Amino acid sequence: MYSGPVIDGDVHHARNNDAELIEYLSRGWREYVTGRGRAGMVPLTVQDGMPNPHGFMRANTYPEGGGEPGADYPTLRAQLLDASDLRRAILTFGDDSHLAGHHNPYFANELARACNDWSIERWLTRDPRLASSIMVGSQMPEVAAAEVRRHATNPRMVQVMLVDNPLGYGFGHPIFHPIYEAAEETGRPVAIHGGAGGWANPSSTGGGSVNTYFEAHTLWPQAIQTHLVSFIAHGVFEKYPRLRLVLIEGGSAWIPSLLWRFDTEYKGLRREVPWVKRLPSEYFAEHVWVSSQPLEISPKRDQVIELIRSMQLEDKLIYASDYPHWDADEIDYLSTRLPTEWHSRVFFDNACRLYGWKPEELKKRVPVEERVT
Amino acid sequence: MSIDVGPVADFEERRFRIVNAGGHELGVLRWQDRFFAVHNRCPHQKGPLCLGIVSGRLVGSAPGSMEVDDDVPVVACPWHGWEFDLERGRALWEEGYAAKVVPVRVEKGRVLVDVGRSARDPAV
Repeated sequence: MYSGPVIDGDVHHARNNDAELIEYLSRGWREYVTGRGRAGMVPLTVQDGMPNPHGFMRANTYPEGGGEPGADYPTLRAQLLDASDLRRAILTFGDDSHLAGHHNPYFANELARACNDWSIERWLTRDPRLASSIMVGSQMPEVAAAEVRRHATNPRMVQVMLVDNPLGYGFGHPIFHPIYEAAEETGRPVAIHGGAGGWANPSSTGGGSVNTYFEAHTLWPQAIQTHLVSFIAHGVFEKYPRLRLVLIEGGSAWIPSLLWRFDTEYKGLRREVPWVKRLPSEYFAEHVWVSSQPLEISPKRDQVIELIRSMQLEDKLIYASDYPHWDADEIDYLSTRLPTEWHSRVFFDNACRLYGWKPEELKKRVPVEERVT
Repeated sequence: MSIDVGPVADFEERRFRIVNAGGHELGVLRWQDRFFAVHNRCPHQKGPLCLGIVSGRLVGSAPGSMEVDDDVPVVACPWHGWEFDLERGRALWEEGYAAKVVPVRVEKGRVLVDVGRSARDPAV
């Protein structure tokens, strides 16, 4: 069992109620949201059209004093931050992560700004182990880029996160490039999180809409595959050679077969994309990182390991719990599924390399209370 | 072994002519007054390589840019589209993977191929 230092690449922090976020909206947007009289508030989150039969949260993550999973710092601290030797947790928001699914692009921009400020003030100030994603309203990429740059000097805002796809094109499409320009310029990886098609209706599946959460969740990697292929085909990594991409919550066992096919297609179809100068798998090896959750369960443990090893993903795989979601992967569980010689890389070293953290600094034990800013 | 495969005038610009040279089926191409010869057999699945599209190498200096480098003639196999430069036979995505090219020259208005030697041989 692994007992060393851990970095968790996917922790969904949430809010207990709308009031928490409303105070971070500008006065005008606050009036827009709350001033509907008897009609009630304008919903802040994209409405969920694909219910999970269990609910989306682990039952034991509901705070004892009431409120939502992931919304109560003491509970999150006890269940996650202090439950193992966890040195960093990257916050990835709850339902607010889907703000790019809003039809109103101006509202999405404001929500992104408010969410980021809320994340900094309500979470990062409480615990130095926490780092946050930067949400952006990708409906308007120039505004999104400005939001990324607004956090350029805050080293704890560690990555730009894309979830819902507002424009219907793969994320490699040039319309999104201002976001990547800002990400590269500020040294932030771009993270694409599961659900990166549309969260509610339609769900993010290729070929057609599906009807159950069972189908949608099985096909979760499809949207991530679309965006990965799009990134490489549109030459994003040629245009932004220092850009790094993180694929979160899509698993990893599918990556070899996709890249094998992608490389083969390149050999025959390079004429269409001559700005792509190398095999897709070479761009992947240089620029792309992958979170571990959910690790696919193969009938024999070694089968999935062999697939991961075939792409040397053990050097790019980042542990992610997905706390407090229902299908989160425990450290103890994952350590029994992965080869022992991978543990320090997957649980700690790979994330240090991606996010530019010095392992020796993170390994210093500093009481949390003394470092709260 | 040098084999005469015909007069220069028989070779149309930018169009492969398939010839039999010493038992080898070759495609011979005239390209801006240069000649290239390659075995008519793709190393991938043995497709008829020289029936494929011939063009200058397509290059893109940035996403969305499409330019032609006429100094580098390329054939794309008609079976799967795999592209090979005709100077050295190399696949465009990997130098170590190649179609088999043979030396070709013009003497006294005749096109000669050396089927016993590879054009990739540095001594050529």
